Amino acid sequence: MTTLAMDTPREDPRSRANATLGMIFFIGSWSMAFGTLFLSFLILRERVGTWPPPGIVLPSFPMATVATLVLLGSSVAVHAAVKRGRADAGGFAGLWALGTVLGVAFAALQSWLWFDLLAAGSGPQAGTYESLFFGLTWVHAAHVVVALLALLWIQLGIRTGRYGAHRISTVQNTAMFWHFMDVVWVVLYLGFFVF
Amino acid sequence: MSGDHIHPEPTSFLKKHVFSVDHKVIAKQFLWFGLIWLLVGGVMAMMIRWQLANPGSPVPVIGGLLFPRTGGVIDPASYNMLFTMHGTIMIFLGLTPVLIGAFGNWCIPLMIGARDMIFPLLNMLSFWTVALGGAVGFYSLFVPLGATEAGWTGYPTLSTTVGTQGDGETLWAVAVFLIGASSIMGGINYITTIIRLRAPGMKWSDMPLTVWGLFFTAVLNVLFLPVIGSAMLLLIMDRVFGTSFYVPASIMSGASGGDPILYQHLFWIFGHPEVYILILPAWGIVADLLSFFARKPAFGYKVTVGAMFAVTVLSAVVYGHHMFTTGMYAMLGESFMLLTMIISVPGEILFFNWLHTIWRGSLRLTTSMLFALGVIFVFGLGGLTGLYLATISTDIFLHDTYFVVGHFHLTMAASALFGAFGATYFFFPKMFGRMMSEKLGKLHFWLTIVPLTVVFCTMFISGYGGMPRRYYDHTSADYLVPLQHLNTITTHSAFLLGAAQLIFAWNFIRSRWWGPKASDNPWEVGTLDWQMPTPVPHYNFKEIPVVKTGPHEFSHPKLGDRDWIPQTEELPA
Amino acid sequence: MNALRSLFSFPTKAVAAVLATPLALGLLSAGATAQDVAKRWGPTDPASTFGEDFQYLFWLITTLVSVSFAIVCVLLLIPVLRDRAKPGKKAHYDHGSSLHDKRFTAVVSLIVFVVLDAWVLVVAMKDLREGYWNIPAPDDEKTYKVEVLAQQWAWNFRATGADGEFGTADDILSTNTLVVPKDRPVSLNLTSKDVIHAFFLPDMRVKRDANPGAVNIAWFQPVVDGEFDILCAELCGYAHYQMHGKLQVLEKGVFDEWEQEASRLAVAAHDAEDTEAHWAWEWQE
Ligand SMILES: [Cu+2]
Ligand SMILES: [Cu+2]
Repeated sequence: MTTLAMDTPREDPRSRANATLGMIFFIGSWSMAFGTLFLSFLILRERVGTWPPPGIVLPSFPMATVATLVLLGSSVAVHAAVKRGRADAGGFAGLWALGTVLGVAFAALQSWLWFDLLAAGSGPQAGTYESLFFGLTWVHAAHVVVALLALLWIQLGIRTGRYGAHRISTVQNTAMFWHFMDVVWVVLYLGFFVF
Repeated sequence: MSGDHIHPEPTSFLKKHVFSVDHKVIAKQFLWFGLIWLLVGGVMAMMIRWQLANPGSPVPVIGGLLFPRTGGVIDPASYNMLFTMHGTIMIFLGLTPVLIGAFGNWCIPLMIGARDMIFPLLNMLSFWTVALGGAVGFYSLFVPLGATEAGWTGYPTLSTTVGTQGDGETLWAVAVFLIGASSIMGGINYITTIIRLRAPGMKWSDMPLTVWGLFFTAVLNVLFLPVIGSAMLLLIMDRVFGTSFYVPASIMSGASGGDPILYQHLFWIFGHPEVYILILPAWGIVADLLSFFARKPAFGYKVTVGAMFAVTVLSAVVYGHHMFTTGMYAMLGESFMLLTMIISVPGEILFFNWLHTIWRGSLRLTTSMLFALGVIFVFGLGGLTGLYLATISTDIFLHDTYFVVGHFHLTMAASALFGAFGATYFFFPKMFGRMMSEKLGKLHFWLTIVPLTVVFCTMFISGYGGMPRRYYDHTSADYLVPLQHLNTITTHSAFLLGAAQLIFAWNFIRSRWWGPKASDNPWEVGTLDWQMPTPVPHYNFKEIPVVKTGPHEFSHPKLGDRDWIPQTEELPA
Repeated sequence: MNALRSLFSFPTKAVAAVLATPLALGLLSAGATAQDVAKRWGPTDPASTFGEDFQYLFWLITTLVSVSFAIVCVLLLIPVLRDRAKPGKKAHYDHGSSLHDKRFTAVVSLIVFVVLDAWVLVVAMKDLREGYWNIPAPDDEKTYKVEVLAQQWAWNFRATGADGEFGTADDILSTNTLVVPKDRPVSLNLTSKDVIHAFFLPDMRVKRDANPGAVNIAWFQPVVDGEFDILCAELCGYAHYQMHGKLQVLEKGVFDEWEQEASRLAVAAHDAEDTEAHWAWEWQE
C-alpha cells in the first residue's frame, strides 16, 4: 500500500501517518485471523482432554525454544535498525541485515521442526494435536515468508538509497508486521510448548 | 501518494479503465461486476423456484442447455449446487460488491471531499482480488462433480471429504477466502480514508449518514472477515491435507478428533455481523435519501449514528441465535436470546428516526425515495419476524424451515437490495452523467415490492407449516404434500419479481448510453458530491472544499426560495 | 432495430413483453402441479405437550408483531399521502436533536422493548424451563429412552427393550420407524455417523441436531396416538429431502404388548458377529 509513494523523494509526515494508521488497522484485522486460529486451538485442546495427548510424537521442545530466541533476536535487531534509520545514524543496513538473516534462520528451524516430525512418522493427518501444530504453524509460516520477502526488499532498498531517513514509513511498517509475526509465534510457542 | 495530490489522468486504455487506481472507475467496476453476478444469482433463484413448484419437470427454455444429461430436469445434486451457489453469489459477489464496493468507493471520497481513497493501489487490488474470487467460484462450476453442494453456510462434516467429494467445495472455500481478503483491503482503505481525508471543516457530525453506514461496515469487515478467512483455511486443510479440525471421531470409538460445531461458531461469529455488513450501508443510504427527498433534516442525526454504532458492537455477541438446535448450554442459549432481543432496540430507534424524518416533510416521491421508503417496509417485515427466531422456544420449530428463508431474505437480501436500488437511481446521474427513466423506475419499484412481499410472506406461512428448507422436492414427505400449493404461489410471484428486474436492467443500460444528460445537481442536495461538475473530473476537487454546514440542512426558514444549501456555504445567521 | 426503437419509445410494450413471460411460466407450472390434495396453511395440530405452549407463543408474537408493523405502515403512509411536495410549501425544519426529542425516543424504544421483547422473553423462559429444557429423569420408569443414530440418509433407532439397558441382545432396533408410548416422556440421545442431520418431528414441535462426534439430547411427550412424520431438517447431502421416517405413537396397553414382542424378536434375531449393528453408547443426560 505504500509502494505507490515511489515518485515522491521525501515523504511528508502526513502521508507517513496515513501509512502507519493503515498498517495498524491491517494488524488489527490480522490479529482477528490469528485470534480465530488460537481460539480453535483452545477449543480443540479442551475437547482432547489430556494435553498433549499421550503416545504421540511431539515436536522438539529445545529446537522450538531456539527458534523462538532466534525470532526474538531478529525482532530486536529490526527494531534497532529502524531506530537508527529514522535518526539517520550508522548501522541501519547492518542491523537490518542481521534481522533478516535471523529471520531466515527462524524459517530454517521451523522447517526442521516439521521435517523432524514427518521423519518420525507424524504428520498433519495423525491427530488433533498434529493438525493444530502443522495447520497453525503453516499459516504463520506463510506470513513469515511474505514478511521475509519484504525484509529482503527493504534490504535492497537500503543499499540503493531508496529507503532511509527520508523515506522510512515502508521500513517502519515492515518492521511492525515483523514484530507482529513474532508475537504470533510467541503465542503459539506458549500454547504448544509451555502451557 | 494518497488522495491529497493531483496526478495526471492516465491515457492508456488499460490504466484508465482496467487497472485503474481511480476510485470512481473502481466504483463502476464493482457496480458492473456486482450487477452481473446478481443476474447470475437471480437466474439460479428462478431455477430453484421452478423446481420447487414443479418437482422433476424440465426447466423451460434454458433447461436443455444447462442439464442436458437429464433432459432439462434439475437433479438433486444440481439442485443442491444451485441453492449453494445462489446464496454464495448473492451475498459475496452480488450485494457486497454493489453496496460496499461500488457505493463505498463512489460515495466516501466524494462525500468527504477527498481526491481519492487514501491507498489507491490497495483499492485496485481489492477489486481484482474479488474478481479472482469470482473467477475461482465460477470455475468450480466446471470441475468434475461440479460446484459444492454443502450450502452457503458450508457446515462440516458435509463440507469436508466425509460429505462432499471433488474440488468444488475446496474451490468454494478458496473463493470465499479471496473475497474476504478483498473486503478487508476495502475496509482498511475506507476506515483510514474517512479518518484522515475529510475535507477541512468536516466534523464527524458533518458526514452524510451514507458515509457513517459505510464506516461501520468497514469496521465490521476488518474485524470479522478474518474470522471466516481462518475458518476457511482450516476447512481447506481438512479437505486437502487430511487434518481433523472439523472431523470428529465416532462417539463409540472413545477418541475425540475435531469438532464440527467449532466451525459453526466461527462461521456465525462472522455470519451474524455479515448481515449488518450488508445492511449498514443500506441503512446509511436510506437515512440520507429520506432526508434528501423529504426536504427535511435527518431526525436525530447523532442518535441515528449512535444506534448504528450500537448495532455494530452488539452484532458480535448475538450470533448464537443461529445455533439454538445444536445443543448449546441452556445458559448460553438464554444469553444469546436476551442479547438478540437487545440488539432490536437500536433497530427500533432507526425506524423511529426514519419515520420522524419524513413526518411533516415535503416529500418528492422519486424512484430513489420510493426504494428508501420500501426499505422501511421490507426491513420492518423482516426485522419484526426476527423475534420468532430470537425466541428459542419458537425457533426450535421454525429453525431451518422456510420461515428462516423468508426472514433473512427480507432483512439481508431485500433490504440491502432496495438500498442498492435506491442508491443506483440516486447516484446514477453523477456516475454516468445521464438520468435514468423515472417512469420505468417507478414501474420497477411497484413490480418489485408487490411480488417480493408475496414471495417472502408465503415463505413465512410455509415455514410455519413446518416446511424444511434445502429440500429438492417437498412432495416426497406426506407431511409436506398439503403445503405444496404455497410453493406454487411463491414461485409465481418469484417469476414476476425476477421479470421486473429486467425492467431495471433495461432502464440501466438504456440510460447509461442514451439517457438524457444530467445536470450537476438534479436532486438539489447539499452534500459535496453533488457540488461538483458532471462528469466528475479525474481528481474530483480542484480545490479541496471547506465544509461549513451539515449534510441535511433542508428547508431552513431563513434560506428563502431555495430549500437547500451546499455544505460549503454557511447557514444564514 | 425498429423493434428495439419501438420498445425504447413505448416502455409499456417492453413491460408487457417482460411480464408475459413469467405469467406464461406460471400457468405452465400451475398446470404441472394441479393436484387434488388437501391444502394446509400452517402446521398440523400439535401432538405433544409442547404443542399448546408453542401455539400460544407463536400467536402472541404474531399479534405483537402485526400490531407493530401496522403502526409502522400507518406512520409511513400518513406522510406519503399528506406531506407531498407542493409549490410554495416548505418542510418543517427540525433536526430532532433537542433533549426533549432524545427523551421521547428513549421512552418509545423502552416501551417497545418491554411490550415486544421482554414480554416474549418472559413467556419463552417459562416455556423452556418447564418444557424443552426440563429433561425427564432417565431413571424414572416412565421415561422411554431411545438412542438415535442418523446417517446419510436414514434414521437408526435403538430402545433398551425389556432389560432397560442399552447394548444388550434384547435392544429393539429399527430403521426409519420409531415406536413410542403415548403420555410418557420420550427421551432421545442423538448422534450421527457421517454428517450433521436434524431430527425434526413437526407434529411434536421438536427439532434437534444429530452431530457426529457428540451426543445431543432432546425429549417430548406425545399426547395423541397415531402415525407422524420424521423429517431431516439439516442439509445432509444428495437425498436430504428423502431422509424421512415414521413415528408411531401407541396407547399404553398396545405399546406394552408391542415392546415385549419386539424385544423377544430382537433376542431371536441377535447376531453376535454383526458388529456393525452393535452401535450403542452409554446413555447421556
Ligand atoms: Cu444472526
Ligand atoms: Cu439428514
